[in-house]
Amino acid sequence: MSFLWGVVWGVAAVLVVAVGAIIGVWWERKVAARIQLRLGPQQIGPAGSLQMVADVLKLLVKEDIVPDASDEPFFRYAPLAVFAPVAMSIAVIPFAAGWAPFDASVGVFFFLAVPSIGVLGILFSAWASHNTLSALGGVRAAAQMVSYEVPRSLSVLSVLVLAGTLRPVGVMDAWQWWWIPATFVGFIVYLISSIAEMNRGPFDIPEAESELVAGYFADYAGIRWAVFMMGEYGAMISASLFGAAMFLGGYHLLPGALGIVAFIAVASLLMTVIMWVKWTLPRMRQDQLMEFCWKMLTPIALVQLLVAGVIAAWL
Amino acid sequence: MAVERDRLKVPESVSDEYAPGVKGFFQGALSVLTGLGITARAATRTPTTVRYPDEKLTLSDRWRGPLYLRGALGRDSIDIISAPPDEYNGVIDELYRTERLSPCIGNCPANVDARGQAFLIADDRVPEAYELVRERNILPGVLGRICHHPCETACRRTRYDEPISIRPLHRFAYEEYRKVASERIKPLPQTRGKRVAIVGAGPSGLTAAHDLMRLGYTVTMYEGESKPGGALSTGVPSYRLPRDVLYNEIDNIVAMGLDLHCGVKVGKDVMLADIMRDNDAVLVAVGLQQSRILPLPGTDAEGVIGALEFLWAANNLGEAGVAGKRVLVIGGGNVAVDVARCALRVGASEVKLACLEGDNEMPCHPWEIEEAIDEGVIAMCSLGPVEVLSSENKVTGMRMRPCLSVFDESGRFSPTYGEEMTDIETDVVVFSIGQAAVLDDLVSGTALLVSGRGQLVVDSTDFTTSAPGVFACGEVVTGPGSAIGSIATGHEAATSVHRYLEGQSLTEGRVPRPVPVLEKYGPVDFDYVEPERRRAVIELADPEERVTDFRVVEPGLTREQAMAEAMRCLRCESEVCVGCTFCARVCPDYAIKVERSDEPGARCLTTYELDLTKCCFCGLCAEQCPTGALQHSGQYELSFYHRELMVFDKGEMLRDGGGTRSTGRDGITSPACPAPPRKAGEAS
Repeated sequence: MSFLWGVVWGVAAVLVVAVGAIIGVWWERKVAARIQLRLGPQQIGPAGSLQMVADVLKLLVKEDIVPDASDEPFFRYAPLAVFAPVAMSIAVIPFAAGWAPFDASVGVFFFLAVPSIGVLGILFSAWASHNTLSALGGVRAAAQMVSYEVPRSLSVLSVLVLAGTLRPVGVMDAWQWWWIPATFVGFIVYLISSIAEMNRGPFDIPEAESELVAGYFADYAGIRWAVFMMGEYGAMISASLFGAAMFLGGYHLLPGALGIVAFIAVASLLMTVIMWVKWTLPRMRQDQLMEFCWKMLTPIALVQLLVAGVIAAWL
Repeated sequence: MAVERDRLKVPESVSDEYAPGVKGFFQGALSVLTGLGITARAATRTPTTVRYPDEKLTLSDRWRGPLYLRGALGRDSIDIISAPPDEYNGVIDELYRTERLSPCIGNCPANVDARGQAFLIADDRVPEAYELVRERNILPGVLGRICHHPCETACRRTRYDEPISIRPLHRFAYEEYRKVASERIKPLPQTRGKRVAIVGAGPSGLTAAHDLMRLGYTVTMYEGESKPGGALSTGVPSYRLPRDVLYNEIDNIVAMGLDLHCGVKVGKDVMLADIMRDNDAVLVAVGLQQSRILPLPGTDAEGVIGALEFLWAANNLGEAGVAGKRVLVIGGGNVAVDVARCALRVGASEVKLACLEGDNEMPCHPWEIEEAIDEGVIAMCSLGPVEVLSSENKVTGMRMRPCLSVFDESGRFSPTYGEEMTDIETDVVVFSIGQAAVLDDLVSGTALLVSGRGQLVVDSTDFTTSAPGVFACGEVVTGPGSAIGSIATGHEAATSVHRYLEGQSLTEGRVPRPVPVLEKYGPVDFDYVEPERRRAVIELADPEERVTDFRVVEPGLTREQAMAEAMRCLRCESEVCVGCTFCARVCPDYAIKVERSDEPGARCLTTYELDLTKCCFCGLCAEQCPTGALQHSGQYELSFYHRELMVFDKGEMLRDGGGTRSTGRDGITSPACPAPPRKAGEAS
């Protein structure tokens, strides 16, 4: 029985991420276009809104290319290994009072730990491509993602200290409005390290088109490439939802069922901010990236944790 | 034309220098926020993307400089109203082709070489320009003040910005020529030993006289008035045409050998039959002497007068008996406007002008009625006269009724009227509805036929009358018309006289010349037109001041203005580049570079470069070229192996522009433009 429910939730999560990715790509193209004084997609559907549907169709019918020299099974299934953990992580997000799709007592830990499996998927794809640039991109991605786990976890920890629980639903139950100013620095650290976790600009050196062609998915095409893409957008969606819940109060912003709407609206706003940052800032250098993580974000997150601890003890 | 492009602007808040430590951290954070602010502001601006397909035909503003292009791409705003007769079109087309005739020359009834005039004035050879114009327009100084300038209407520059001021240039050329006239005028040799008599010293008679004298005939001219000039002397108000200009130009013709007898009325003092006997040919150019007056009740009352009589009195006596009186002018033509403006100048207290036509279909030229209204004339349109009201045989008013339409469906004059009567109080009624010829005395004792309507019977193609050896020209043939139209008939009549005396066929190779039908161009859009490309502006005298006397209303061009105006001429159809730069302006690829020097006397193209590496072979440059120097060759597959060969130095376009191709007349040489040195290895 629980297995069947698992299947249902799994399919639902994949659909949510896929549809979210389609909307997200369209929205990102619009945001990028406006920043560059362009209009973006405008031909298919109102304001080009059906452009991505056409794109998905195109990607589905494209030839599924597997390079001769590649390690075929790994090459084929690595995209799934990147995508699946992202879809899983959405399960623990508390959408409404007392309800999350998967109400786990260690939900926050689950959210932070499961997407890390994606690093393995990236390493698989990088290795299986049998290609120098892909390997380099994969190693860069692994280093980057493992490193940024640290400030990200620390920043979330400051909220957990205040809430006194690892259960996302419990955190939301205990939520107080003054947590927003008290953990604001932590929120910024969370946002930055989340961007780095999902390998988006300005932290997209693993993909770095100008030097690594496209990094670990340089050899991917068609729908397999699209799964990587969906993984990236899925990570964006889940990180935005989780950040909106933990740091910005989630459904508390509006009473009753409207709370869910407010929650999703705030999460969408966070996604827009992430796109805005990507289309504004230039790509960082690898050494700057690591320096920024260990010498800047981690100390700041620790200070934030200290502040939260003092507040919790004082109460 | 170098193209300016925006330089990248870096905000002052953006810097690539940062301090170490905490300060550097905040500097970095601030620069990130600044960057986010810049992109956020950019996102609020209107996107510049073309919204295909709605905007796919939009041209950039740069393309709109030459207006012609708007017609070339879509043929929208240039509509040619009412096609001229095929035969005439054929003549004009043939002339355009064989003689490189420009539109200004083609649209002038007398084919005055306006292009050559502008060429010579720009070359600082003003007296030569005057003489060139005088070949076709016997009175350039006069016409330079009063002509209705169909040439300017046809000027091809209208397609780019504004037409050349051809008429004021005539006047400028005359003013300059006047200073040197005594040196340049020589009596024409009378080599043929044949005598021609001309009756009437109006513009058409003078034209024929000049043409015939140049052919070597001995010409005698009889004029009934005490002064020569015809309608120019008796009719045209002196605020438009000072009489010394007219008499000076006629004196010049007399100095060339014309035997002019003024104050001799043919039919009274001398009989036409005697003149016919004493001369080999006679030309009747008597014009129209009598005003027509409508056969309405009450027109025999004191205070009803015809336009010609009124104008004669106002011009010759300086008063017309209307001082302090109210004047009503019936008619809407140019003569009616002249009458109204003269009435103001001879002291009328109030001048009204009533015509059948509506205010947008008045037969006078729009600028004429505009100036009249400025001076205080009250125009009343769409009114038809019914009856002259009088008491004790003195005019007290005019009864009018509304005119609903002037022309019927087939375009014939057939006015329809409303019922409601209006009485207009006035002391004087001037009828200005046309003129008629007075021929009874003239034709008595000859075989000349006069039609039942009092008109001389004349063939309008070769200008022969019913008597052999007697020809006619001018308004007596054409009816009321323009001075330049009369001059055109003078040329034709002179040709007939010459052929008759030489025993040649009068009709062979001649085609009737109807008055040209002008092209109408779309309204001119002066956005993106530089001020120096605009036409010279002539400030008229202040209306309040000028109505008090017969002072000249329009001042002429200054020398600087005239030179600039002549330089604006594009020398259409000359097939020699004038460096107008319009090809560079339309080029979508910035592939053309044109430079020219604008020194008076040396207006030369100095550089013409076509960079074939940029050229997209769209043909827009050739499409709009006014001179025909650029032409489509059809060699779209042109290709070269060396880049250097792709930059053309078009020595071809800089060739000597002498002869008919540059000016429309043989024997005029262009200024000494040095041909650019050819590069080594270039095909010659």
